[in-house]
Amino acid sequence: MFHWLEKHPFLFAVGVFVTIAFAGLIEIVPNFAQASRPTIGTKPYSTLEIAGRQVYIKNGCNTCHSQLIRPFKAETDRYGHYSLSGEYAYDRPFLWGSKRTGPDLMRVGNYRTTEWHENHMMDPVKIVQGSIMPAYPWLFTTKADIETAFAEQVTDQEFFGVPYNKPIPMKDGTTQVVKLAKSIAGANADALAEAKKVASKMKNQDVKDIVAHGEVPEIVALIAYLNSLK
Amino acid sequence: MDVNTFAAYGYFFLIIFLVVGSYSYIYHLYKNRKDSSGVDYEHYSDMALKDDIGDAPVKPISDEKKK
Amino acid sequence: MENRPLEYDYTVAKMFMLTTVVFGIVGMSIGVLLAFELAFPGLNTILGKSAAQYTAFGRLRPLHTDAVAFGFTVSGIFATWYYVGQRVLKVSMAESKFLMFIGKLQFWLYVVGVAAAVVSLFMGYTTSKEYAEFEWPIDIAIVVVWVLWGVSIFGLIGIRREKSLYISVWYYIATFLGVAMLYLFNNMEIPTMLATDAIGETNMGSWMHSVSMYAGTNDALVQWWYGHNAVAFVFTVPIIAMIYYFLPKESGQAIYSYKLSLLSFWGLMFVYLWAGGHHLLYSTVPDWVQTMGSIFSIVLILPSWGSAINMLLTMKGEWQQVASSPLIKFMVLASTFYMFSTLEGPIQAIKSVNAIAHFTDWIVGHVHDGTLGWVGFMIMASLFHMAPRVFKRELYSKSLMATQFWIQTLGIVFYFTSMWISGITQGMMWRAHDEYGNLAYSFIDTVNVLHPYYALRGTGGLLFLIGFFMFSYNIYKTMTAGKRLDSEPANASPMGA
Repeated sequence: MFHWLEKHPFLFAVGVFVTIAFAGLIEIVPNFAQASRPTIGTKPYSTLEIAGRQVYIKNGCNTCHSQLIRPFKAETDRYGHYSLSGEYAYDRPFLWGSKRTGPDLMRVGNYRTTEWHENHMMDPVKIVQGSIMPAYPWLFTTKADIETAFAEQVTDQEFFGVPYNKPIPMKDGTTQVVKLAKSIAGANADALAEAKKVASKMKNQDVKDIVAHGEVPEIVALIAYLNSLK
Repeated sequence: MDVNTFAAYGYFFLIIFLVVGSYSYIYHLYKNRKDSSGVDYEHYSDMALKDDIGDAPVKPISDEKKK
Repeated sequence: MENRPLEYDYTVAKMFMLTTVVFGIVGMSIGVLLAFELAFPGLNTILGKSAAQYTAFGRLRPLHTDAVAFGFTVSGIFATWYYVGQRVLKVSMAESKFLMFIGKLQFWLYVVGVAAAVVSLFMGYTTSKEYAEFEWPIDIAIVVVWVLWGVSIFGLIGIRREKSLYISVWYYIATFLGVAMLYLFNNMEIPTMLATDAIGETNMGSWMHSVSMYAGTNDALVQWWYGHNAVAFVFTVPIIAMIYYFLPKESGQAIYSYKLSLLSFWGLMFVYLWAGGHHLLYSTVPDWVQTMGSIFSIVLILPSWGSAINMLLTMKGEWQQVASSPLIKFMVLASTFYMFSTLEGPIQAIKSVNAIAHFTDWIVGHVHDGTLGWVGFMIMASLFHMAPRVFKRELYSKSLMATQFWIQTLGIVFYFTSMWISGITQGMMWRAHDEYGNLAYSFIDTVNVLHPYYALRGTGGLLFLIGFFMFSYNIYKTMTAGKRLDSEPANASPMGA
């Protein structure tokens, strides 16, 4: 800062570092101390939902769709209750997005159905005239990566204490348990069972064949994830 | 003292430091034409203009070694 | 060999100049494709239905941002460092075999890292965090490249002849430290393979997958502390380093005020880091962080304009150079765009403005004022200035350069005007209510109305890309067919017709 600093590169670098690190220290660290606690009714994702979330990320859905409802009347009218910090407690990574080329999806599970998603993902323009969203027909035949989803869940449980297999308080006073399998085989079985429920509401023959064959198409995982967004 | 109080103190002293520090720095720069080693600040611009490898440095590092 | 006088050695600078051009073409071409995909969605399957997943908007978007940021811009930063660093420290790379080795190693690792990043993003391996999409193995490679650059910076400083560090060197050091800190903290993640043991399996899922150390709101806070400051330390700080060297050198004018540069440097360092909160206004991060982000964004105008005004005043009494030299035109327009976008940014950070602007195209427009007008122009100008000295040849064509300047300027104007209109239209339509208090428009209405602006934006981007091809051609011809120079030009770069 004062003439001599520019002549002493090491001290100069230290000075720069302290100056730029200061903001992070004051601004970010305090918030971490009180890491966001989950709101009542917020559950961890199931294996199939995590697999679907990975499909969402892989295809960059978050580049056009936000998951953050701001506290304005226009937004709550359109998308539902504004977002609360605790609702994101199990979101690793967060998927707020930065651009709303398409509508917000924070609570899409409240007003869209499996059938709607099935038709829409196959050909968006047929469902929404003038839509500029690309179609995602390949998701109906590609297989979801259940193993990696399971690995992510185990990581969540082991390193971050996400409460799988534990009672989670719900809004109506009851509790629910989100199951986490003990092995890959178990995880596959759980995911398939959940996938069958979703697929039973779908019409696509490829999807039905693949599920009958004991595998999970990416579209089924994705729809399970979208339906969980409430 | 919890983290929030710590942050609040950090923030407070920072503002004090900034106001005092940066204003005195601005005043210092405004007041002095030369830095303490006797070089006019503006001569340092020559570092960009006279930058051929044969050009004489504004403040050669070898000066110190000689002393 | 023994008796040859010592010269600056630009071997590594030349290598990075090449990647600047190549990654620039790649990143900007993808950008233009993306722009037109929004206007004409049919382009999402431009390579046929079977390749649809590789050409869909969502998959390509991170490739565009990362290719222009970490490909084009970072190459430009490295190229100019290996040029400017030697000159202002008055020491040649040829004097140290070690530094030469580090420089080349850094280059090759960088190229491998970028190739791996491109392939993995195409395949859909992404963490989804903007400008930090790479999965953990690539993150490690990036850290190694960065550390090598640090060795190179401080190594060169260690053997310097000029005692005092020139302004540009401050900014390069800040770039190195800032990006290192930000990148490390934002990419804290646990590879899911590490959990394998806990469950008693031997092999579980993909290697290319990790879980962020932070959840939800905290993750957002760290991400935008990073995201905002990545802009600071990749698109602002190193570009200021360039202009502080290249504008005075090309115009032959000393910096208007060295003192002002001191003040704006420390001001910028301090203030910039606080402003990240403005990406999260009205979100679920604590209110005081949002307010702080807003306020510091406004304060940020001061140090930003400090540098920009310093640049414009450097040209005081020398404005005829702007008229006569296209190279000076590029730099003066770059600093003008810098002023423009550092004013626009704080305006968008005001809470009530942000309520309309956030999530809209106006933000995209703002980013591109800065990246096309400021970053793009300044890096191209730097390369134009370096080329005659590095290749010891006259710049191939002045008229081509002037044409490029006007085409690209027109492109930028198309870009930001269309994004202004589209962003504000979008923001206003989202919030419009009818007389009964119901929403006036469905979402698709707000999409359909934007079509003409998207088409116009694509055209603007295309003009800029065309200009970039002209730039590439000009540099290539300079390298191969420019008139040979006997001695290094002191200031104004010699240009052929």
